[in-house]
Amino acid sequence: MRGSIRAIAIIALTIGVAITPFVMTDRYILRILTFVGINLIMVAGLSLLFGYAGQISLGQAAFYGLGAYTSGYLAKAGVPWLLALVGGVAVAAIGGLLIALPSLRLKGHYLAMATLGFGEIMLFFFTETESVTGGSNGLRGIPAASIGPLEFATPVAKYFLVWSVVAIVLVLAANIVRRRPGRALRAIHGSETGAQACGIDTVRVKIQVFVLSAGLGGLAGVLYAHYVGFVSPSTFTLHYSLILVTMVALGGMGSLGGAVAGTVLLTLLPYVDAIIPGLPRSTVELIQDWTNDIYGMVLILVMLFMPRGLAGWATSLVGRLGGRDRAGGSVHQGGGA
Amino acid sequence: MSMLSVKGITKRFGGVTAVDDVSFEVFEGTIHAVIGPNGAGKSTAFNVMTGFDRPDEGSVVFEGATITGMRPHRIVRLGVVRTFQNTMLFDEMTALENVLVGMHARTRVGFLGAALSLPGVRAEERLVREQAHRILRLVDMDDVHAVPAGDLPHGQRRLLEIARALATEPRIMLLDEPAAGLNNVETAQLGETLRRIRDTGVTVVIVEHDMGLVMEVSDEIVVLNEGRKIAEGPPLLIQKDPAVIEAYLGEEAPDA
Amino acid sequence: METSELLQLAIAGLKNGSIYALLALGFTIVYAATNVINFAQGEFYMLGGMFAVYAFTQFELPLLVSVPLAVLVVAGIGMLFETLAIRPRKDAEPMALIIITVGGSLVFASLARHAFGSDALPLPEFTAGPSFLFAGAAIERQTVWIWGIVLVTVAGLTFLYSKTRLGRAMRACMQNREAARLMGIDTARVVMISFGLAAALGAVAGVAVTPLTSTRFDIGAGIAVKGFAAAILGGLGSPLAAVAGGLLLGLIEQAVIPFSSALKDVVALGVLLAVLFLRPQGLFRRARREKM
Repeated sequence: MRGSIRAIAIIALTIGVAITPFVMTDRYILRILTFVGINLIMVAGLSLLFGYAGQISLGQAAFYGLGAYTSGYLAKAGVPWLLALVGGVAVAAIGGLLIALPSLRLKGHYLAMATLGFGEIMLFFFTETESVTGGSNGLRGIPAASIGPLEFATPVAKYFLVWSVVAIVLVLAANIVRRRPGRALRAIHGSETGAQACGIDTVRVKIQVFVLSAGLGGLAGVLYAHYVGFVSPSTFTLHYSLILVTMVALGGMGSLGGAVAGTVLLTLLPYVDAIIPGLPRSTVELIQDWTNDIYGMVLILVMLFMPRGLAGWATSLVGRLGGRDRAGGSVHQGGGA
Repeated sequence: MSMLSVKGITKRFGGVTAVDDVSFEVFEGTIHAVIGPNGAGKSTAFNVMTGFDRPDEGSVVFEGATITGMRPHRIVRLGVVRTFQNTMLFDEMTALENVLVGMHARTRVGFLGAALSLPGVRAEERLVREQAHRILRLVDMDDVHAVPAGDLPHGQRRLLEIARALATEPRIMLLDEPAAGLNNVETAQLGETLRRIRDTGVTVVIVEHDMGLVMEVSDEIVVLNEGRKIAEGPPLLIQKDPAVIEAYLGEEAPDA
Repeated sequence: METSELLQLAIAGLKNGSIYALLALGFTIVYAATNVINFAQGEFYMLGGMFAVYAFTQFELPLLVSVPLAVLVVAGIGMLFETLAIRPRKDAEPMALIIITVGGSLVFASLARHAFGSDALPLPEFTAGPSFLFAGAAIERQTVWIWGIVLVTVAGLTFLYSKTRLGRAMRACMQNREAARLMGIDTARVVMISFGLAAALGAVAGVAVTPLTSTRFDIGAGIAVKGFAAAILGGLGSPLAAVAGGLLLGLIEQAVIPFSSALKDVVALGVLLAVLFLRPQGLFRRARREKM
């Protein structure tokens, strides 16, 4: 029941994503949907780290920036795009490793503050190392992505490039979460002591997932840099990192599908006019003006009233439709063991 | 030759010596109990034996290898597994998934293999799921395999933690107060389960307050008091040991 | 470098350090009561300045009224925030509470933009007049105010902790919340008051510094990181250590200025990471062993 609903939803979404550029020719809409895709790659990584393993990071924007700047710089220097991409992902992953090694001994708020501090330090370097990053003016004239003679120069081509990567990333992430490594991540979230008692090298797994999520952040950054053609420090702020955390939290901890839903909803929020065409201009402006308030309130309200996020809500809805609850009546019948 | 030797371990917390020069041997294929009044140092001894604490002095040797100072997951991989006084289950995961996590050290699939669904991944997954169901059947819990551990009643949570520990394919199992909070029926069933586990070739060490259970299932008993070992021997001798009776005066008497 | 220049840097360091000290106190007090790091602490600082400016310019209240009024209002907001957003989930895992305070920080900053606009808002110095001269170095009058406020605050907190029933209850909660509750202490009230007190301390810092820096809706996050770095330096335990951490951080910041003034802003971050990685228990405390 639940499996088939999920399969239908995935197929419908895939078809929808594939035909959108042919139905909606509006460049504005394509642009926004491309950004949704880029955010999805960011959030896929953060979902593994934060949603599954329970390790909070308030510095994801730094890895996004490392990927974007590295790849942009390399491509401007004439390096082929694929190599620039590898470079961007590698630098972000190495940055992730360097911060993970000392940080992951820390817990909760200490980890939150360490990653936040790391993000702010990277932002400082993006701004101050002008010879490489162009300082606060940014790095301009980054060439579009290309693989050999194939160039992703048009909005439609860029859209398909980004969404192809999204599809690959989501499939790989889904494979991870339903197998042994995914269980180890959830175990670490549930009880680190318990995980150790099961023979899990918790330090190693946490470093792995941190590096993985940093690498995915770098990958999103690479796509962003070559999509926009311009990167500047104002993109890689604490604020962006916080919004990514909000997306995962809204979707529901320990749910990749939830994180996807949270990302789509929150990314589209300031651009409601692109999705609901008839909306009055004043309404759109009102929503845009209050976007940050809404993000903050979403964080608070989700934590207060639906700690399992959209995913938990959807699960119980499906359960009710299917006539059985998640914990399905078997909770209390086993009493005597 | 003994399977596990505890050699003169001492553990201090600030000015308090929780475990004071304690030594004992555990032989393969037995059920060994560690008992003593509250604060006798039983749990600390367990923590030291399983790598969750480092001793200030002394060492723990398992099958000829010194395991003191090793990190807990390495010790589990050698075949020494434990449960906790306050169960450390993964509450958001189902009973089956908890057992599957227990099989972590015996399986190989990593991030890359899982992500790419490399050959063998599906086969391994099928195999571990079958095994996990088998282990749940061993503790009569396969009917609740899909229930999140957090929703299970207390007795089943204790059993599930034992099942999860069994999933690591241990050579020796250390159970920290497995009967705490169980009713009489459940405790009797637990005794049965412990014997079943021993009969499959897994050596068992328990820290336990329930003297009925201890006297019934143990082959050998070590008594700690105020961090020191005060007696050691089979149940019948321990019950008559004047030092033990003395230590338990004011506490519950050994009443088997 | 000349002595007077060094002195000038030291004065600036102790001035900024006093501000960090007040924020660090806020972090420490809330942490002691709840084990929560309040990511909205910087917004209390921002709101303090904002309300003071508002009362002073819109209601044309005298500064001596506007300033304490602003502090009281922010203290109220802190207690309200705790009651509405923290208390309902007070037993949740720390991460949920961290996220709630992060959400609070977003909301407070954003609401402040709606209410007060996005311009930097100035406030006059508490007492007008030329700077004092001391051994060739200039000390602004507002700096003297800041030092005075910190001294009075520390004295007040010391009195609160050592001489009042409430203070003893707060200290008991610090040691062991569960035991305090069993002893009949109303821990819920202590937690609420701790939030109010922390918010007030943030607001005091914000109000005191606004005449020198002006205030804006988005300055909270930046100052919170510095206040937290100071709190971590102090070890998140004793209030006096938090103050020492703040002053030390202020001085370290000024110490790098002769080498590179651009670096000043990352020094706090560097200190934060260094302490977290090397001495997470802070500079002044001995390592505590973790109990299972």
